[in-house]
Amino acid sequence: MSEKPRSKDLSRAITKAYMDEAYHAHEAGKLVGYTTAISPVELFVAHDIIPVYPENHAVANLTAKMGTELSTATESMGYSTHLCAYARSDLGFRRTGKSVTGGIPEPDLLMACNSQCFTLTKWFQVLSRRGGNVPIFIFDTPEWIRNEKARQEIIGYTVMQLKEMIAWLEGVTKRKFDYDRLREVVRLSAEASILYKKFLDMAHYKPSPISIFDALINMAITVYRRGTQECVDFYQTLCNEIMEEKVSKGIGILQNEKYRLYWENLPVWFKFRDHANLLGSFGGVILTSLYVHAWSLDFDLAKEPLVTLAENYLNRFSNSTIEDRADMAIDLFRAYDMNGMIMFMNRSCKAVSFAVPSLKEILTRRTGIPALVFESDMGDPRFYSETQVRTRVEAYFETLDRLGR
Amino acid sequence: MWERLDLDRVVEYATDPYGGIREWKAKAGKKVIGSTLADVPEEVISAFGLLPVTLLGTHKPLKKAPSLLPDNACSLARSNLELALTYERDLFDGFVLPQVCDTTQHMCDIWRINFKDAYVESILLPRQVDRQSARYWVREEIERLMASLAGWSGLSMKDADLQESIIAHNENKRLLKELYDIKRENPGTLTNKQLFSLIKLSMQVDKREMNETLKAVRNSLRVCKGEGYTPIILTGITCDPPELFDLFDEIKLNIVADTLVTGSRYLEGIVDEGKDPLDALTERHFKRGFYSPIHDDVFRNARDLASLYQSSGARAMVYVHIEFCESEEYDLPDLKSAMKKEGIPFHTLVTEYQTLSFSQARTRLQAFFESLKRQAP
Repeated sequence: MSEKPRSKDLSRAITKAYMDEAYHAHEAGKLVGYTTAISPVELFVAHDIIPVYPENHAVANLTAKMGTELSTATESMGYSTHLCAYARSDLGFRRTGKSVTGGIPEPDLLMACNSQCFTLTKWFQVLSRRGGNVPIFIFDTPEWIRNEKARQEIIGYTVMQLKEMIAWLEGVTKRKFDYDRLREVVRLSAEASILYKKFLDMAHYKPSPISIFDALINMAITVYRRGTQECVDFYQTLCNEIMEEKVSKGIGILQNEKYRLYWENLPVWFKFRDHANLLGSFGGVILTSLYVHAWSLDFDLAKEPLVTLAENYLNRFSNSTIEDRADMAIDLFRAYDMNGMIMFMNRSCKAVSFAVPSLKEILTRRTGIPALVFESDMGDPRFYSETQVRTRVEAYFETLDRLGR
Repeated sequence: MWERLDLDRVVEYATDPYGGIREWKAKAGKKVIGSTLADVPEEVISAFGLLPVTLLGTHKPLKKAPSLLPDNACSLARSNLELALTYERDLFDGFVLPQVCDTTQHMCDIWRINFKDAYVESILLPRQVDRQSARYWVREEIERLMASLAGWSGLSMKDADLQESIIAHNENKRLLKELYDIKRENPGTLTNKQLFSLIKLSMQVDKREMNETLKAVRNSLRVCKGEGYTPIILTGITCDPPELFDLFDEIKLNIVADTLVTGSRYLEGIVDEGKDPLDALTERHFKRGFYSPIHDDVFRNARDLASLYQSSGARAMVYVHIEFCESEEYDLPDLKSAMKKEGIPFHTLVTEYQTLSFSQARTRLQAFFESLKRQAP
């Protein structure tokens, strides 16, 4: 009798099959489309375009501590150190060919959605130029401002663009778009998103069976395989595993869990494990962030697929007002009963970080919880100070201890 | 108050117009609406009887902005925030802020949170211009701005008000273009600093009054061809601080064309007076030149600049890069190499509000143009 596959094995198998498919796309008569992690990739999936995410590849390289080497190569091309570390790492890979994963295939087309950030738009424009004018579609998502009437108009504009994107895909591939297929892909995306959120919400248990580091590792599948059955199966397996092996037995990341922490921003990828260990030594575990919830999509299958796609890719945290971001974070504080927060000012990510000072003010005021703020870069060790981070972490936990939180 | 300014006063006011605007506001009894760059339809604001003022930073020290926007944010954004928070807070009754990039998107939120008593509206400009949806969206946003201004001010705006406002703004741009044309051919007539001060001040004060000054300046000009000037193109978003124009004047550069948002791109914003005003304002958005955050044609900037270089007879191009403008930072390396391929001498001048070193900028600029002279046939 064969054993049930483990989520880790499934993840590995899905990733391998996916990369094989991407590398052999042309042999199968398919195209490779670069897209951004928060984008209506369902259109690509429904149209048999293999989505490839330069961001994911950058994360792999940055986690493998290749940030400085790749950034230096990019800077030698005339780019500034101020740019996003993902972009610097990606352009460095294209210059040097160096990659911890062996690289990613070149794009046949590009779709940049600025719901996540505007930097991706500009980065993808560089890739389009580099490839000699690779077809590019900018999916423009105006900020999801707090004005109901304006939101309806924004949805109208965004749906119009999705239709334009479909026409563009038909033009590039010379194939008719299949709306029935899209409906099915959105259904699968919706199903996977519900399971992904269920997985993230495991952090509400005490002690928490997962930390943000589990979330960061396991979110990869929904980023690049949402809209497929295998993605649904993966999160079902993952949720079952955690329920059976941890929650039902009361096993947590830390058995002596003292501080349940919120993290603002993307992680410092090259310090991923060090941070978990450092915080763990003080009884702290980071449970969540708005970032990992960016893929907790909430599709309404009763609506037209293009409408629910538009709504979901507009209302992501990264495209929301600072006030809405604060409300989203407060919801997480309540749901997971958190008693500490780490606010990372990430030089690389302006889209997230420029909100941090205001967000910190709002969150500390509304929760009464003090915040630890530190500045660094998510991918470039040249902007990371070990001593500064360690000192601040120690001081922060002393403060929390003193406050008896 | 802005009707009879001589050129010295224009230059003075363009460096710091806010005291003058405050004085004007007290006399005119009008409300003042600040806007950041770029493309806010100021004709609409003006048609409500409000004064639209383009915020172009301050060179006074930063006090409050650094705690709200980190030091790797665009220095113009930080400088504008400081200007409004610390130095001119009482001057502005409201703000209309365009969103075109991550920084400007956050700026709108930060502004709204920190100016709770003022009117703060954002205008969500499309970051693509080549598709039909962009036209639909620009029109929607202009209409939303009109409704928002009416709701806040309690004022109504008639079609005739908008038409009249368009005419005054158009006249302003035509007069500025006329002066630019004169200066282009006769660089001894007006300095670079004087011309760009006229444009800058026009973006900040009452247009009808300013038009009188422009006419008076035009009528009093003593046209002088001048000698020994090097014709150049200035490109980028904005060129600040104004002392940079002194550097250009000092080494006898004649700006014969530019693509600045605070230069020719502003002057290109003439609205078709023969059309329905809303249609014409919408259309205008797509007629303007390249602006890095909104244009999605990845080769357009290089193409437009190469063609401008050919048609203007310029001998070099100076790119004014605002430090930490991410949009420009992604474009710049490819633009440089495209210009190199075209054989266009290209100099990058990195500027930063508050901290620019003029001596360094002067040395680099002088070195570049001296080497250009040596290369001259």
